[in-house]
Amino acid sequence: MTRLTDLPPAQAKRLAELECPAFDTTPWASGPALSQRRVAIVSSAGLVVRGEAPFRGGDPDFRVIPGDTKPDQLLISHVSINFDRTGFQEDWNVVFPLDRLNELAAEGAIGSVAQTHYSFMGATNPVLMEPHAREVAGRLKQDGVDAVILSPV
Amino acid sequence: MSALGHYLEEEGIATVAISLIRPQTENTKPPRALWVPFELGRPFGPPGNPAFQRRVILAALRLVERDDGPVLIDDFPDDDPRAQPDPAWELPSVPAVSADASAETLADQVAAEIAMLRDAHARWVAEHGGTTVGLSGLSMADCGAYVAGWLRGAAPASPREGVSGPLMLRFAVDDLKAYCLEAAASGPARPSSRQLGDWFWNRTACGAAVYALRAIGLASEDDRLKAVLGNFMVPAARVRGTG
Repeated sequence: MTRLTDLPPAQAKRLAELECPAFDTTPWASGPALSQRRVAIVSSAGLVVRGEAPFRGGDPDFRVIPGDTKPDQLLISHVSINFDRTGFQEDWNVVFPLDRLNELAAEGAIGSVAQTHYSFMGATNPVLMEPHAREVAGRLKQDGVDAVILSPV
Repeated sequence: MSALGHYLEEEGIATVAISLIRPQTENTKPPRALWVPFELGRPFGPPGNPAFQRRVILAALRLVERDDGPVLIDDFPDDDPRAQPDPAWELPSVPAVSADASAETLADQVAAEIAMLRDAHARWVAEHGGTTVGLSGLSMADCGAYVAGWLRGAAPASPREGVSGPLMLRFAVDDLKAYCLEAAASGPARPSSRQLGDWFWNRTACGAAVYALRAIGLASEDDRLKAVLGNFMVPAARVRGTG
């Protein structure tokens, strides 16, 4: 088990007190039962499909991860070194649970899996990410997605 | 992550965030979040455990069916069983590194270690069907040579157009770490991340080289180099004297 108390005090303090944007609204989108939802993964792990440009420090944009991407095609390019990568090396579902989503869709626990998934890189100014996030929202809606699981590292 | 959730939700798409740091999530107040007691880097828990991962993802996704938001933070109850060490794991044997090794010696040891771990890494690739090495686009030998150039104080030019030298160094070091850690995890044992990290940072020439690069950065008068090598080489938990 790893909790903040397991981290070096300076890192734990920095993470706990990380400045976060204050929003005036508390949006809440409702929808059908989970068994009818189309689900996408949006990661902040700095994921890139092999051969594409890795994230650089501060990059606020996103990378596209097609639903037919194979595990050996996906890399983490996050600038931070303060998180474990050995789990992802062994099994991409630890960060990008596409196999689990496909199984849940096959069983009918969720409606379907999005055609395309997306990755940003955390540790980036959220204000700069906003237009890119809204662009992703438009792409997700075009794909019929009505539930997103947000995967940090 | 919570900001992304806010923007997507404003656009009408229901989101649920995995939370690894509960105080941060409490501050940012996302529409829905599932806090998990796992290590940073493992939002869905243990590798190679589909049943456990499935419970995490279902616990998260079921929050989209609740109607008692906005701002819903639930807790996943179980710890990651893979956080425990595997006593059956055997540390890969690599030559000891002298604490006062010269840059030249260390550079030679890095090259030798890369060659020594080649079979173990090939075994990993065969066992897992691939590798996460590849950010730099260089072969492992070239990664080692590029890192060696920095160790010798040469600050070699980046071999990739549009990628600065320091950025290339970050990618090469990421690849070096991935290569060593994958090689070390090959075989039937299931070491914890701490076991693997202890081996890499305390026993290997590649780990010693990354520490040396950090020291080079911190001693540099170039502020950018100081920032990149000082902050993006050795994890905070592994900086000696703090952890």
